[in-house]
Amino acid sequence: MTNPPQSSNITITKDSAFSVKINRFLALLQRLLSNPTTVIGLIIIGLMLSMAIFAPWITTANIPDPYQMPRDWGAVRKPPGEMGYLLGTTNEGGDVFYGIVWGSRTSLQLSIYVVGSTMIIGTIIGSIAGLLGGWVDEVLMRIVDVFLSIPELIFALAIAAVLGPSFTNIIIALSLVIWVKYARIMRAQVLQIKQNDFVDAARIVGDSKFNIYIKDILPNAVTPVTVQATLDMGNVVLIGATLSFIGLSEAGIAEWGVLVSEGQAGIASGRWWASTFPGLMIFLWALAFNLLGDGLRDALDPRLEDR
Amino acid sequence: MPNNQFENNVLAKVKDLKVHFNSKRGVVHAVDGVDFEILNGETLGLVGETGCGKSVTGRSFLRLLPIPPGIIKGGAVNFKANLVCTRCSGRGCSECGKSGHKTEKGEQVDLLKISDTRMREIRGDRIAMIFQDPGKALNPTLTVGAQMAEVFLQHRSLEILDMAGLGQIKNKAILRFAKQDVKLFDKILLLLPKARKQKLKVQEAVKIMVSKALSETQVPNPLKLLDRFPHELSGGMRQRVMIAQALACNPDLLIADEPTTALDVTVEARILELIRELQLKRKTSVLYISHDLSLVRRICDRVAVMYAGRIVEIGKAEEIFANPSHPYTRGLMAAVPSNGIPRGSLSAIKGTVPELIDPPDSCRFSGRCPYEVNGCRVNDPKLRKITESHSVACFINDASLSWCAPSFEEERV
Repeated sequence: MTNPPQSSNITITKDSAFSVKINRFLALLQRLLSNPTTVIGLIIIGLMLSMAIFAPWITTANIPDPYQMPRDWGAVRKPPGEMGYLLGTTNEGGDVFYGIVWGSRTSLQLSIYVVGSTMIIGTIIGSIAGLLGGWVDEVLMRIVDVFLSIPELIFALAIAAVLGPSFTNIIIALSLVIWVKYARIMRAQVLQIKQNDFVDAARIVGDSKFNIYIKDILPNAVTPVTVQATLDMGNVVLIGATLSFIGLSEAGIAEWGVLVSEGQAGIASGRWWASTFPGLMIFLWALAFNLLGDGLRDALDPRLEDR
Repeated sequence: MPNNQFENNVLAKVKDLKVHFNSKRGVVHAVDGVDFEILNGETLGLVGETGCGKSVTGRSFLRLLPIPPGIIKGGAVNFKANLVCTRCSGRGCSECGKSGHKTEKGEQVDLLKISDTRMREIRGDRIAMIFQDPGKALNPTLTVGAQMAEVFLQHRSLEILDMAGLGQIKNKAILRFAKQDVKLFDKILLLLPKARKQKLKVQEAVKIMVSKALSETQVPNPLKLLDRFPHELSGGMRQRVMIAQALACNPDLLIADEPTTALDVTVEARILELIRELQLKRKTSVLYISHDLSLVRRICDRVAVMYAGRIVEIGKAEEIFANPSHPYTRGLMAAVPSNGIPRGSLSAIKGTVPELIDPPDSCRFSGRCPYEVNGCRVNDPKLRKITESHSVACFINDASLSWCAPSFEEERV
């Protein structure tokens, strides 16, 4: 080695680390878009999201609380397509179209709150268990086992019933049920990645434990967690709707499960619309996120990266 | 430990190292009383079959053992670093009086006992390691540049700052950035326009250092390599990156754990040449762990043969290959295919390495040894010198014993 170059020799080029990240993201996007079913999922999700975002422009917001269904007692049990009620009305004069549009917001809230919080909590707890091992791992995993031993829906149902009927309680109940999945996945990932030579290599370099976790373990472990989170975005709405259907959220809220439950009394007498349309939305929402989740799993698979 | 001081030419001294592993069926004595020393600038080959404790011995230099289930049962790994000035990495700067060395003498430390902080200072800086499979030893989510930058940020931050023209900088955030110790608050500070510019300068300096280190391993177009991911490189290329990373800080000791096993023969030759060349240039000692005797013969100054957690024979490479004095060494050599041996007559040592769970007090090789006598089953041979530089742990030819086995030559004729 010769003398170190003078400071004047150092020219600042563009932030190459940043451009590498962009390129990687674009490559991922390209792989994602090459799969037609994923594209269908993405289109449905895009439409749902724009419906949630533009809800106040699509329908006139109910005053004072737009998340409550407006009640028009003069127009009960209208079939779809009749003057101003595009998708008909319910027994209580609620506009089904309004419920669907604002219900997309409630569903989005539900899935983002539940999946966001459980992903963070589960990742942290799973990482701690995997990294520390020993009795910490043992204790945490036994707690997880207890949570896993009760079926998802029944456990959520029990918690929501104890907490009382409200939409917030459904969020809490679902979060309590779902976090264990992420803890499990993360622990398994950490345990597996910890064995890799590159973690030892980073230790040899003299990196601190925290740096090794952030740089070497976490980025390699997030793929299955991301896929699971995408799938759960759909599943959470499915379970949430079930709980609402049973009557565990506030009555009259603009939520797809509540709408289905409101409409089911009329199905026998031929008023199919009040249950069918919100049910269709729940189905589409879950389907779209499942399609995207499958696509993500394929696209993020490192073995397929070169193809 | 004044009675334990090294001679001047010794870099590291392993004394009675014992590493055991707890398993469900008992305690595995993976390394059971290993003694050897590594001299300055030499290549010491550590050979043996799979499961002999070679890798565990190598890894204990860096305390890279899985603990638990591993336990360091006893012994010491003494190491005396040739402290190079960290500011200029031996080139000579104002701080070290143009000598390139730190003013204080490198003190002797026991690598098994020093604190984690000290260990981290030594790892990557004074002792480095190359792994067997370069495909698994590079993080798939980091670019080559980012990965190699870690070594420099960890051990050479002052030099980086000098290079970036920020030698006298007071900004704590930048200082911490150059040490790879960025706090959450620093991230916000680094967004300020002035700090951002300085940060980019530091990054650029790191880039220059990394590409320099890469170019020494004869990588074509190192600057282009920086932004690529490990999976985009070939095996030989990845191993070059590993070597560049390992030798980046001019370590005193390089532990090479079968670095060419995963590579094909032509690449292997080039990588070995490269290690040799860089080693001579930097006067680095190499501990070369391998099971390939013909390769060890080519590149090593001294050879230690390990069997079942013990060193059974150690000496200069020429001595060992001219006069193998342990039956195990002989067996290993006979198992190497070579030109003279007719087709089909390749011999193998019968049996496999015994399980090392609570081994009995006997020669570990008894049961597989063709020269075995009754005494081998009840006595445990210790390393004894047969010439000044050649030691062997076997009762054959041991004149002090009345019951010793006949020598190899007598047996054969």
